[in-house]
Amino acid sequence: MKNPLAGVIGGFRYPVVVLSVAIGLLLFVPFAVLVATSVTSGQLILFPPQGFSLKWYVSVLGDRAWTDPFWLSMGVSLAATAIAVLLGTSGALAVHRIVRPGVGRLVRTLFILPIALPPVAYAVGLHRINILFEGLNKSLVVLVLGEAIIAMPYVFVLVSSAMNRVDPALRLAASTMGASWPMILRRVELPIVLPTVITGAIFAFSVVFDEVVLSVFLTPPGTQTFPLAMLSAAREAFSPNLTAASTMVSLAALALLGIVTVVGNRRARGRRPVRKVSST
Amino acid sequence: MTVALDIDDVRVTLGHNEVLKGVSLSVQPGEFVTLLGASGSGKSTLLNVIAGLQKIDSGHVLFDGENVERRSPQKRNVGFVFQSYALFPHMTVGENVSFPLLAARRPAKERAAVARETLELVQLGGMADREPASLSGGQRQRVALARAIAANPRVLLLDEPMAALDKQLREHMQVEIKSIQRRVGITTIAVTHDQTEALTMSDRVAIMHDGCFVQMAAPTELYRHPATEYVAKFLGEANLVPLYDGRILPVDGEEQKTGTAVIRPEDLEVLPLDAPAMAWSFDGIVRVVSFQGDRFRIEMDTSDGRVLVCTLPSTADVSLLVPGLPARLACTDPERVHIIFPPEILAQPLAVGSAV
Repeated sequence: MKNPLAGVIGGFRYPVVVLSVAIGLLLFVPFAVLVATSVTSGQLILFPPQGFSLKWYVSVLGDRAWTDPFWLSMGVSLAATAIAVLLGTSGALAVHRIVRPGVGRLVRTLFILPIALPPVAYAVGLHRINILFEGLNKSLVVLVLGEAIIAMPYVFVLVSSAMNRVDPALRLAASTMGASWPMILRRVELPIVLPTVITGAIFAFSVVFDEVVLSVFLTPPGTQTFPLAMLSAAREAFSPNLTAASTMVSLAALALLGIVTVVGNRRARGRRPVRKVSST
Repeated sequence: MTVALDIDDVRVTLGHNEVLKGVSLSVQPGEFVTLLGASGSGKSTLLNVIAGLQKIDSGHVLFDGENVERRSPQKRNVGFVFQSYALFPHMTVGENVSFPLLAARRPAKERAAVARETLELVQLGGMADREPASLSGGQRQRVALARAIAANPRVLLLDEPMAALDKQLREHMQVEIKSIQRRVGITTIAVTHDQTEALTMSDRVAIMHDGCFVQMAAPTELYRHPATEYVAKFLGEANLVPLYDGRILPVDGEEQKTGTAVIRPEDLEVLPLDAPAMAWSFDGIVRVVSFQGDRFRIEMDTSDGRVLVCTLPSTADVSLLVPGLPARLACTDPERVHIIFPPEILAQPLAVGSAV
């Protein structure tokens, strides 16, 4: 069993392997420590943990100081994701229809711009708006909209690259067959890019759920998003509540990723084999 | 629902490039016309003009005498087979074929029935539930064809329909498409750069060059009596011999040629060197004799500096032809020699009538 790469990398093989392992550890060790400290039976975040118990999990699940921020974050993330998916997808479909290349490039850049914007500057700007309009700062409107704008480029980039892989003749073919543009959108383009839209939505959701800068500035007084709750928990007391909560959201994220992969694979597999021929 | 198709003085400019320079074409109902030309000749643009996918600067497109040049592609009722087939990857074969009926909001029952019938017609009966990705290239092409004719369009348009198929399948599908077209009886315009394909499938072939029609005629007529040297060289191999007053001009001659003789390689034969000279005989030195399976191909350097190509049946006796030794090639039937006169002598417009 000869590895063809071995010859290419040659003497550099060992440093490359060592570096890869180091990077892997950098990702894995903090997570391992996180999980380990969360199952301690002691009162402090300590490594190695003292004894084993799930009491901190029970404590987090029963503590409104943790569950309220969680549900707030879920709500904000879902709403912002919905808006981001709507804007990003329709933007990608629209940009694909722009004929003049100069205009297309400009609009494309505008849609990607929010990624490049420093979140702090953006948050300060939104904060001013919140102050200007009384009552707005008690609602989640500006927070949701701000998070949606930050998440939108992820959806836009994914969906437009999927559109680039679609044969441009499909649209022409559909139009010669009498399909109007709304029908082409609904029956041809959207179904083809739908898996990518779902991937984009998951990306957007995780970006928003994790986002802390906008939350700091825009969360209404007396409430907290989940990342904010973690931040303040870390500042106030070093209780294993923090690591238990972190472990739970991490596992939830992994589970979500797993479901998406399994569903995606099943879809891809379902496409190939010949389905039973039924009489239509 | 098939129609007569007329193209009247259509001009198209893309950027600064005049792609169609006023082309006119008259197609009878049920006729199969192929637009043949090199890439950039404007043939695909003309096809898009008929489908409504390309706007025109001036001119008219008429279906049965009715102006359609302002109609959107959706309202022209044409069937279009794209080079890539453009099958919808997320739909089954049956859903693909019945898409035109879905667009016309026909009920599901009717759509399924039409899909089944049309798939039978292209010999893909029972394939309605398959995914396009699971089909072979030839099957996909049949699906594309079925989809294009499912809703009884008025005109069928084929854009390089064979480009994605291998050679053997291509020859098979040429005959197949022609027979389906004849059975359905639909007016058909195809675009290709493959001369064999054009000659095999069409009732008439229109040769395009640089945004204009050069000649339009039935395949045999086009091959036997090309109007210009371009057509003669474009369709098959041809020996072009310049003439002056009916005489063969030497290569370095001073006189202006007054015509060109077109002699097809298969019309030349080998004569003994001591045979009496005749009008269309050429002496020279054999350059190459190659065996090509179904025929021999001979290249000869003539004594006045030309290269002649001759093909002989594979059963021919080629013992007289030895590379490096002299030989005589001749066209013994003067009827077989076609003479092209330059335009200033021909001084009459290009015949555009139907010539079936």
